Amino acid sequence: MSLRNVTLTAVAALSLGMAAHAQSTTTVTVPLNQPGTQVPAPTGPGTTVTRLPDGSSTVETTGAGATPQAADDSSATAPAAQAAAPAEAAAETSAQPAEEPAAAPAAEVEAPAPETTAAEEPPAEQPAADEAVADEAPAEADAAEEPAVAEEEAAAEEVVEEEPAAEEAAEETPAEEDATAEEATEDEAAEDEAAEDEATEDAAAEDAATEDEAAEEAAEEELVEDDAAADEETAVEEEPAAEDDPQADDAAEATEAAEIEQVIRDVSFSFEGPFGKYDQLQLQRGLQVYTEVCAGCHGMKLVPLRTLSDPNGPQLPEDQMRAYAAEMSIFDPELDDERPREPTDMFPSVDGEGMGPDLSLMAKARAGFHGPYGTGINQFFKGIGGPEYIYSILTGYTGEETEQAGTTFYENTAFPGGWISMAPPLSDDQVEFEDGSPTDLDSMAQDMAAFLMWTAEPKMMERKQSGLVSVLFLIVLTVLLYLTNKRLWWPIKHRENGDGR
Amino acid sequence: MSAGIPTDHYEPKTSAERWIDRRLPIVRLLVDFVTLPTPRNLNWWWIWGIVLTFCLVLQIVTGIVLAMHYTPHVDLAFGSVEHIMRNVNGGYFLRYLHANGASLFFLAVYIHIFRGLYYGSYKAPREITWIVGMLIYIAMMATAFMGYVLPWGQMSFWGATVITGLFGAIPGVGPTIQTWLLGGPAVDNATLNRFFSLHYLVPFVIAALVVVHFWAFHTTGNNNPTGIEVRRTSKEEARRDTLPFWPYFVVKDLVGLSIILVVFFAIIGFMPNYLGHPDNYIEANPLVTPAHIVPEWYFLPFYAILRAFTADVWVVIAVNWVTFGIVDAKFFGVIAMFGAIIVMALVPWLDTSRVRSGRYRPQFKWWFWLLAVDFVVLTWAGAMPAEGIYPYIALAGAAYWFAYFLVILPLLGVIERPLPIPNTIEEDFDAHYGRATHPAE
Repeated sequence: MSLRNVTLTAVAALSLGMAAHAQSTTTVTVPLNQPGTQVPAPTGPGTTVTRLPDGSSTVETTGAGATPQAADDSSATAPAAQAAAPAEAAAETSAQPAEEPAAAPAAEVEAPAPETTAAEEPPAEQPAADEAVADEAPAEADAAEEPAVAEEEAAAEEVVEEEPAAEEAAEETPAEEDATAEEATEDEAAEDEAAEDEATEDAAAEDAATEDEAAEEAAEEELVEDDAAADEETAVEEEPAAEDDPQADDAAEATEAAEIEQVIRDVSFSFEGPFGKYDQLQLQRGLQVYTEVCAGCHGMKLVPLRTLSDPNGPQLPEDQMRAYAAEMSIFDPELDDERPREPTDMFPSVDGEGMGPDLSLMAKARAGFHGPYGTGINQFFKGIGGPEYIYSILTGYTGEETEQAGTTFYENTAFPGGWISMAPPLSDDQVEFEDGSPTDLDSMAQDMAAFLMWTAEPKMMERKQSGLVSVLFLIVLTVLLYLTNKRLWWPIKHRENGDGR
Repeated sequence: MSAGIPTDHYEPKTSAERWIDRRLPIVRLLVDFVTLPTPRNLNWWWIWGIVLTFCLVLQIVTGIVLAMHYTPHVDLAFGSVEHIMRNVNGGYFLRYLHANGASLFFLAVYIHIFRGLYYGSYKAPREITWIVGMLIYIAMMATAFMGYVLPWGQMSFWGATVITGLFGAIPGVGPTIQTWLLGGPAVDNATLNRFFSLHYLVPFVIAALVVVHFWAFHTTGNNNPTGIEVRRTSKEEARRDTLPFWPYFVVKDLVGLSIILVVFFAIIGFMPNYLGHPDNYIEANPLVTPAHIVPEWYFLPFYAILRAFTADVWVVIAVNWVTFGIVDAKFFGVIAMFGAIIVMALVPWLDTSRVRSGRYRPQFKWWFWLLAVDFVVLTWAGAMPAEGIYPYIALAGAAYWFAYFLVILPLLGVIERPLPIPNTIEEDFDAHYGRATHPAE
């Protein structure tokens, strides 16, 4: 091939790549982000959101009302601190739930320093689970959690593949169930409850999805249904997850730990996979949930308010974003007084006793998945599972409570150790969406998780686009270099002119 | 490069070139550098050098830009990284490039090292190339470790605490050294500041060492898959064994680099946090210890060796007894970890075989691949908690690592019967392409 031909090929391939890229962008963008359809909609979520701060004109009040006890992951520290020496606190935290078979292992989780584990700061907790996945589990708690996650991953991947055909997924589910049902005997009681809950929620979600047709675009609706399908499946997955611990060395440990196995349910969010995009309307709903509920106890000090209007985010119209910002005040050292927040300010930080951890990066600071086999490769399709972790926490309450060291803990199937100090923050119909989107717990939890993914990674869509362009360009470059190399070495390998040069 | 392979050197052709060449022979230097006669039979394992060069440049360039937006202060560092991610134009991409670039750098260096181990690239006369390479590797580890501290997340903080604690394990002077490294009793602002300063400095030390590395192997010539030397008896024979680096190997290496970059950019675009740890998105908190402190993946093999030697291992007990308790388990682990790198650096003198390339060493091959597997197993074991069966796996892996360098390589050279070796590189190259070597024409 002559050099001219190579050049020609290059140009052709480059343009093909560009065209393909352009096309993929447009097709996917239209259903989700078309500004024309969504932003101006007077009753659209934009309006809703603007209204929110009013509704909660004192954000604190609403928040407090919504989540009265809302002590969260990290807030556990506060009580722990109160309770004399941290070590003692540790002992208590671990000892009490120990009555519940679950907790003893929980306390033991890996714990290089028992005090800290007990202190239950968010950083301390999740990591246990994280590593755990990789570590097939000598520690009892780990033992239970990891395989659970790993299991789900394996199954969840199927979900991903099957997404286009939700029915297929549904069909497969029973089969899986059969296969695994025998294995999962001990947990069934607990799991059944969860499954039932799930089922009802799913039903609600599906109903909602049909109602929504007017409001939401076709693509979006599919998503909702997919989610429902995925949920159904994961509800089943939980059962095998609990039991089979191929990696656990000690069967006895495994069964003991099975009680507190951490259940992270997979949700097929719109932003997963190499071509995944944020759903603008979902982000706006998530913002509303955050404002009306979460903001009472959780700040987001790293997220600039102006980014609410950024492309690929919730894309509030600028005036609404300004109005939203102005609802919250900030202390200005120059004025030596409070003033309304500007778009350039951050979301407020919420500190103090009983308040929860900052949520700015929460979706990246927790990992729900590590599969398959602890490699984490399925991140490529599903993300790291941080949003799923958040979703699972929000929907994972069993209704059980226990009190220790003056703090109430709530049983939560997604939380490492099984007991969380955050009271159930969300309940059905707690928020009213202007666009009539479903307000059941499950849907709101998904909206919230999606919103927190955006706050953690606001440039995700730009990043994926840059990545795609880079990869396409490099593939073309590779082909050209390969052909050049072949041409260059041909005479050498075929010994033209004696030594080929 | 006077002792190098006989070849045509640069000749200034125009009067301007001659004018410059008499005063500063820089053109001569560059031209001779890129036209280095290179064995024509190099296989694809030889592309990683250029990948490493690319990584060094990438890391320095992205790092310099990131440093323009980063603030090395305990109260501001975490936020400034998020500032890069959110406010700096293209900052998110730069940061992910830099963070994942470190992983590519280490992946490349490990393959490069194992290539050298297989083909005997460390043997005379290339010992200095090997030693300088090991120094580069150590400097890389120092740089990567300090770089990981800078985002000031939980793993940054606790990783720094654990690793500097290793120096504290040295009997007597240890705690003093640790305090000196940290700039105080614990990891704090002083630590962050000096790590930032050094993280900026050491890459340029690496760059200088890389120049020495190049210089050394440009003097000896490249090794090649046969391990036999380029014929230096005449320019013509050398010519039949080699090809100039430019364009033949530059283009070939770029093909390899380009393929690798496809994967690299796919990771950055689609799963940039794959190799990171979620905990590092939580701001450092001295009061809360993560449940499980793990270093970055590229430290795991040596981390596994560090943890493998616990107080109940008989070697540790013996050494402890012999040294009157001065060398305890912790210090022994530290010695083992650094020792693992030191024995690798000393391999030119530990390998007694006169055959350079593993291709012609039937027994060596097995031991080598076992070492490669051992390395992977150690990486995996290092990521596991130090409980249950993992410490035993790590111990077995660590033992084999030392056995390979200290026992197997010295013995193999004596007992092994190597396979017949081709006479010339030309012969090997021609045989590969299915022809008998042409007699000199």
